[in-house]
Amino acid sequence: MAAWDLAILVEDLGPDAPPVTLSVASDLHVGGVILKLVEKTQIKRDWSDHALWWEQKQQWLLRTSWTLEKYGIHADARLLFMPQHKPVRLCLPSGITLRLLACFSNPVFQTVMGICRMLNIRRPEELSLLRPIEHKKKKKAKDLDEEIYDLTEVPLSSASRPCLYNGMPAHFADSSQMEAIYKMLSVTQPPPAPEVIAKQYRPASVVDKAHIHGRWLDSSRCLMQQGIQENDQIWLRFKFFAFYDIEPKYDVVRLTQLYEQARWAILLEDIDCTEEEMMLFGALQYHISKVSQSEPQMMSSSAAMDDLESALQSLEVKMEGESSTASEMLETMTAPDLNDYLKIFRPKRLTLKGYKQYWFKFQDTSISYFKSKEESIGEPIQKINLKGCEVAPDVNMAAQKFLIRLLIPAPEGMNEVYLRCENEQQYAQWMAACRLGSKGKTLADSSFQSEIQSIRSFLAMQKSSSSSHGNVPASDESINTHSLVSPRYHKKYKPKQLTPRILDAYQNVAQLSLTDAVMRFLQIWQALPDFGLSYVVVRFKGSRKDEVLGIAPNRLIRIDLGVGDVVKTWRYNNMKQWNVNWDIRQVAIEFEGNVNIAFSCVTADCKIVHEFIGGYIFMSNTQS
Amino acid sequence: MQSGAALRKDNNKTRINTFEKMDDIDAMFSDLLGEMDLLTQSLGQETVPPASPPSTNKEVNFSIGFTDQNESLNELEDTDLDALMADLVADLNATEEKLAAEIQASSTGSSVSTPASSATSPIPPPQSSKPTKEEIEAQMKADKIKLALEKLKEAKVKKLVVKFLLNDGSAKTLMVDERQTVREVLDNLFEKTHCDCNVDWSLCETNHELQLERTFEDHENLVEPLLAWTRDSENKILFQERREKNEVFKNPQNFYLWKKDKKALKDIKDKDKELLVQENFCGTSIIVPDLEAVLHLKEDGKKSWKQRLFQLRASGIYYVPKGKTKSSRDLVCFVQFDNLNVYYGKDFKSKYKAPTDFCFVLKHPQIQKESQYIKYLCCDDARTMNLWVTGIRIAKYGVSLYENFKTSEKKAAVSSVWTNRSTPSSSNPSTPSPTIKAKSPNQANGHAPTPQPGPISADFGNIPPPPPPMAEILPPPPPDPAFPPPPSLPSKGSPKPSLPQRKLPTNFPPPPPSMDNLPPPPPPPPIDDAPPDFLPPPPPTSGFGSLPPPPPPMSSLPLPPPPASFGRMDQSLPPPPPDPEFLPPPPPEPVFTGGGGGPPPPPPPPPPPAAGGGGGFPRPALRPVGSVKKMPPAPPKRTTPSLQGGGGDGDLMSELMLAMNKKRGAH
Repeated sequence: MAAWDLAILVEDLGPDAPPVTLSVASDLHVGGVILKLVEKTQIKRDWSDHALWWEQKQQWLLRTSWTLEKYGIHADARLLFMPQHKPVRLCLPSGITLRLLACFSNPVFQTVMGICRMLNIRRPEELSLLRPIEHKKKKKAKDLDEEIYDLTEVPLSSASRPCLYNGMPAHFADSSQMEAIYKMLSVTQPPPAPEVIAKQYRPASVVDKAHIHGRWLDSSRCLMQQGIQENDQIWLRFKFFAFYDIEPKYDVVRLTQLYEQARWAILLEDIDCTEEEMMLFGALQYHISKVSQSEPQMMSSSAAMDDLESALQSLEVKMEGESSTASEMLETMTAPDLNDYLKIFRPKRLTLKGYKQYWFKFQDTSISYFKSKEESIGEPIQKINLKGCEVAPDVNMAAQKFLIRLLIPAPEGMNEVYLRCENEQQYAQWMAACRLGSKGKTLADSSFQSEIQSIRSFLAMQKSSSSSHGNVPASDESINTHSLVSPRYHKKYKPKQLTPRILDAYQNVAQLSLTDAVMRFLQIWQALPDFGLSYVVVRFKGSRKDEVLGIAPNRLIRIDLGVGDVVKTWRYNNMKQWNVNWDIRQVAIEFEGNVNIAFSCVTADCKIVHEFIGGYIFMSNTQS
Repeated sequence: MQSGAALRKDNNKTRINTFEKMDDIDAMFSDLLGEMDLLTQSLGQETVPPASPPSTNKEVNFSIGFTDQNESLNELEDTDLDALMADLVADLNATEEKLAAEIQASSTGSSVSTPASSATSPIPPPQSSKPTKEEIEAQMKADKIKLALEKLKEAKVKKLVVKFLLNDGSAKTLMVDERQTVREVLDNLFEKTHCDCNVDWSLCETNHELQLERTFEDHENLVEPLLAWTRDSENKILFQERREKNEVFKNPQNFYLWKKDKKALKDIKDKDKELLVQENFCGTSIIVPDLEAVLHLKEDGKKSWKQRLFQLRASGIYYVPKGKTKSSRDLVCFVQFDNLNVYYGKDFKSKYKAPTDFCFVLKHPQIQKESQYIKYLCCDDARTMNLWVTGIRIAKYGVSLYENFKTSEKKAAVSSVWTNRSTPSSSNPSTPSPTIKAKSPNQANGHAPTPQPGPISADFGNIPPPPPPMAEILPPPPPDPAFPPPPSLPSKGSPKPSLPQRKLPTNFPPPPPSMDNLPPPPPPPPIDDAPPDFLPPPPPTSGFGSLPPPPPPMSSLPLPPPPASFGRMDQSLPPPPPDPEFLPPPPPEPVFTGGGGGPPPPPPPPPPPAAGGGGGFPRPALRPVGSVKKMPPAPPKRTTPSLQGGGGDGDLMSELMLAMNKKRGAH
């Protein structure tokens, strides 16, 4: 067979190097070409990751046993010899950018699997890659100097089967630097500065959201084919919102990144929620950041925490066994109490005008008060059981006002009682006591001290935000509450107005462990009515206007753009089949009961819609 | 009872002897015990101090008789006492005798166990290995400390004697202590009434003054809400079947697909129901039906009712303010559920001039009288009202509701087996089993000399491993197993698990034919000493432990139901015999294939480019060449699963019968 010349560019020789020309015959297989090529370059190195890329056809020549003829390669083919794994800048849900080697030759689905293996994220099928939103020119310059964590040194082979070492994949245990990266992956980021939130792109409408979903890469084609270059930025995000089998013990990174994505979805109003929900999300973020700062290793050692309950119980038993005197036993069974002079005001009662000072005693879950300390042995003037009551703060640091508003349930209704404290210290103690009491807990409860702490730190937040008008760098002690809510609330409330509201929500979550708090955040997120919806602007067959198709884990919804209302819902379990006509780019779906719909996609390739639907059905079938 | 009294006296003596032998610390503990007895007494619970003569007097009184009014009360307290005393005495005896035996160094196992255990059964079994003297003493001390602590706790526990009204106008009275959940109380009531134990049985609280009614959730503690009642209150506790309690698990489509038209909802397949329950109750997050409706709100302190557009979310009830959109961020929070309970309002049309009688109310459980803090809402129809009340319950209680349902389902399955057994001829499975009426023979039974041995607990006692404690039954099913994980299904879950049960009755002597109509055969007499009629406060498990081990299974199986069919059923089951719990969730595969007719494995999400041409099912006509055809795997063609009952009524009996008939027919 006649020999002809084949010119191949070898990337490793540099961009300006001339192509290497080989004399080949058409029956030479690709492996032979590579062998010849490597010999000719005379470079000794590991070529195992290299492969040939055919530029005109946008195709990798990965079947080394195929001949050139079979591939249809002639002398005019522009071939490139380069590694299949190239560095990319991978932007994580947390907003952190990693530099790592991604596979450019496998379908994106497998590339994601490889990335997830390296990062120790289970269930890679939930995630995918998407193109970033283009920044304006001047922002780009800024992007460059952001901190990038480099993972390119991780040997590709080690990522194939991660063995855990110290609770992390072995390649992260190599050096303290790598360990730091793993920590960054597995520990939630501190709340972002309000300006950072404000600067981020926020989808303003459902159409904006639909445009974001047009950016998903095609899972069945490789990065190279989709125009992704070496060192490009791509986003790694959770794409399918059906999270099965979350196991905090093994899913440290997965949970953390999921939380980060959820947090940003809330902060950027990618998903709508009510004000009350926003405050709860804020409180949880505050709690999570606080707990993860104080115990950064918690997530990985949470296995031990699972058993905390039982450990405590056995401890209790032990103590029961050990305490040998009656007085000791009685001591453990009676709660400590709190005594002080406070002022009380009952707005609804005419008899007590203004605040009057009494000697207060907090015992078990009740407050009693007496004329004076001396008379506290006798019968109290009144005893108020706080169990089931509502406790609200009314604090103004500048005015030194420390008020506890109590709504005490009684058969006749709720009685309002205000308690006025003298100072921060007193307030924190009594407030904490009231909170515990309202939940039916006594001061002996272990959460008493931490409750006091959190009240004080919230007071500190109020102090700092009122003194220096919002632009405080977030120090350990105080977080600007604007960091915890979406920009809409930046306009609506000043930080110090937000503080009591978030604190209010906070009291219900303050006892949660880090893992529980993250899980709670995710649960509330998942319980939002719009959760899990990915939008695409479509044109239904026979319709003359654009509408929005929402794709959820269990259903499709049709949204009228004019009204913004859900017009129609189709559940997958009623779906008989769906088809894509690639020629006219139309998706046709048939449901039971002879319901047929067809639409073309406006903001996204119909391949994306196709993948979403198929992916959800696939996942619900295999995993639930 | 008289024998019990005599016995107690004896034990008091032995106990005194014991004390004489004791060293200082022990003496101190006995003092402590005495003190605590006094303490309990002073709390009005009349725990009789064991050594004091009045106690014997009282018992004499008791055995002679008492006035009608206090009958149940005394009975209860006494049984309570019995249990406590039994524990106490048994404990002491056991240790003492062990000690004695050790000292004499001539003891045999039989002498150790005889006197104490034969008389009062509930004892932790004595250790088989011979402990040293020190160990024994240490053990004794530890036991006493434990006992002391238990008593101390006991003394603090609030107990109420509660009257439960039944549908037929009669009432049952039970002592309920504050640690007991509604579920436990229901179980006790099942024993007392011998009803069919179906999942609808509930406890309801009625508030006479406010004309409210609420079904307690099974996981709630009963005593706490009752303590909120005012002294003169005319509130009542009803023991009733309430369909709405678990309706959302039987017909989830009515709640989660409420927007669809009624016909579509009615035609929904059981498999889709399962899926809905699965989706909304078994995921990481509990999904609240997203309700939206114009409801009438009674304005504070006024007589008028105002219309507003309300929305239910997991975080609370919201309304859309005038002139605003329905977007989440504009919603105004109406209430959150932390401190509120939801009640049905009765007859509000006349009481509050409500537009309709379909009203519900949100209030703090402690509020018992009219107050501005009560929120009154009125719906256009009963369906809307049930939607909202159920939706609010889901938002408030979350997964607990589902766990309660599963627990009660298991309970119902057990008892349905019993019902089935005692009335094997009942050939009409589709009618809901008789409930209150079925009770009458049992009431008669209740007055028999062995007062209501508590068939259920007895059953459990004889079933080899006792049912796991509540908590263990409940863990949400692992998400893994299989797609339509059916652990919860009333229809499919019940027939299977109940089968092993059918074998259990062999532990009992076969009931004499004349007693065929009595659901449970009375257990053998020796067990009777166990507290009848009232489970002692500590969770039922202790009760099981105290029952003697089941007698060896009788070799002859004279059971009426056709053994052949059961044998066949058994083949399809995991090895059934010793497993009384319903945990083994039906293996997923059969259900899947049964339900879906073996849908093809789904395509993975990224369809390889090669599939572009014609992956999927050849479907000739009209399709453009380039189109990819894919069958959505699970949903498409579905034949009715073989095990499914017709109406999907959730009646376990009928399901069971149907399943059996089918099986029989197949062979």
